[in-house]
Amino acid sequence: MKELDELLLPDDLHYTKEHEWVKVEGDHVVIGITDYAQDQLGDIVFVEMPEEGDSFSAGEEFGTLESVKAVSELYIPLSGEVVAINEELDDSPELLNRDPYKNWIIKVHPEELEEINDLMDHDSYLKMLEGE
Amino acid sequence: MKHTPLHDWHRAAGANMSEFASYSMPLWYPEGVKKEHEGVIESCGLFDTSHMAAILVEGDGARQLLQRTFTKDLRHCRGVGKPLMEGRCVYGVFLNEKGHVIDDAIVYQKDDGCYLVVVNASMGGVIAGHLAGFNISAVLRITDMTDRLGKIDVQGPSAAKVVKGLLADPLRVLATMPYFSFKGWFERDGAADETLCCGDIPVLLSRTGYTGEFGFEIFTAPRYLQKIWQAILEEGGERVRPCGLAARDSLRTGAVLPLSHQDIGNWPFLRNPWQFALPPTENGKFSKGFVGSEALEAATDCHFTYAFAGYDPRKIPPGGRDGVVDARGRVLGRILSCTTDMAIDRVDGGIVSMATAIEDGRPADFKARGLCCGFVRVRSELDFGETVYLTDGSRRIRVEIRRDIRPDRTARCSIKKMLQMPEEEENERAR
Repeated sequence: MKELDELLLPDDLHYTKEHEWVKVEGDHVVIGITDYAQDQLGDIVFVEMPEEGDSFSAGEEFGTLESVKAVSELYIPLSGEVVAINEELDDSPELLNRDPYKNWIIKVHPEELEEINDLMDHDSYLKMLEGE
Repeated sequence: MKHTPLHDWHRAAGANMSEFASYSMPLWYPEGVKKEHEGVIESCGLFDTSHMAAILVEGDGARQLLQRTFTKDLRHCRGVGKPLMEGRCVYGVFLNEKGHVIDDAIVYQKDDGCYLVVVNASMGGVIAGHLAGFNISAVLRITDMTDRLGKIDVQGPSAAKVVKGLLADPLRVLATMPYFSFKGWFERDGAADETLCCGDIPVLLSRTGYTGEFGFEIFTAPRYLQKIWQAILEEGGERVRPCGLAARDSLRTGAVLPLSHQDIGNWPFLRNPWQFALPPTENGKFSKGFVGSEALEAATDCHFTYAFAGYDPRKIPPGGRDGVVDARGRVLGRILSCTTDMAIDRVDGGIVSMATAIEDGRPADFKARGLCCGFVRVRSELDFGETVYLTDGSRRIRVEIRRDIRPDRTARCSIKKMLQMPEEEENERAR
């Protein structure tokens, strides 16, 4: 298990309390899981993703991650429509363990990008982890 | 929380530790549970199982007490008319009068009057007390050995080669060692057939394990555990990988072995895949009477336990709102265990393991994604091959009721074959 100071937590991302990261790219956002999440889950063996075109409200479940021991729900941080899913994860779910920031899960066209202001920045996320 | 003698080693190795039966145990090491699981199929895995408990039963009446309390008929252990004897061990369960499982166990016969009963973590006192309750011999000693015995499991096709390098007299010890036999004792006791490891450490070396794969369990005094663990890692080099409890769980599930208090428990030990733990029967009567036998013989209405396997790695962890339903959504029962065996996958509907030979149907470019598997407990009888669904209220996963799960397991392979297996074949298996 990684110590807190071993975790990779890029400065330029937004974070959720469900241990997901969000990055703004043009008019859409990219969503993945944090290094903390992948480390806690252990080997990820399956990623259940939505279809392109599916719409979700912020906080809704959009998929699941299967590790060997557990099943974890994925919650969408911002309301919007799924514009892309990372199909590489179908055959190689372990990519999320290998590099959870390079290997995103979905891209979403948000209804209101301002919702991103409700998420945590690097420092607040780290503070939350220190409390866990 | 309790620690095994290897606790500091696990921490230093970066293991993800978790509480199991009041012990702090490694779930997996930094390489991850998938590599550990695959490592045991391909080569060799090393498990710290010192959290497990043992009870020593010694003196006149020891065999009679075990005949009375243990499900297995010690006169017919290895088939009818083949009794448990010196240097052999046998798997069975301890039941209460209702026929419900208190715990499962392996009983080792050292000699006529001395048996080692190995049970699950935290069950040493419980089973020792249970045995004492049925003891009628004044000279029998029942000793709870909890935390006084260390245990390491070396599991996988390379296990014999690795263990061979550590034994003081490997040719003698390994020359004949069938499945469920053992050599030596965990402490020096003047016996002629001492088995020594790492020079002069007395060990009980047993050809058993709980992964479904070929291998050994090594029992020794706790103070020697670290030395033996380290020696196995050095001797085995690249072939050996330390493994945590998560890999042990996924391996044993794929091998259709029950986890006590989860797959067997507070219900009659009947209609499950483990009826081989009961004595042979004739006209509905067991070959011996034992604690719980009358309840089992009289039982008319009890649930069925089946193994299952899915079609991809998706699973429904038991607990909470889990259930087993039919195609129309009618509730059939509940999930006992559900995990992913990462060494197997579906090929043309059937299950293939990474250990399956190419001529037996493993595609040359086979890459196992893993399959969800485990056990369900249902009210009515089901057929092997039948489809049922696991659900947690929102997700629904199709699974198949199976007689067996992971094919081409090595547990019963002969030690001779394993010692002769050329490295190329090991590597071929690995691919």
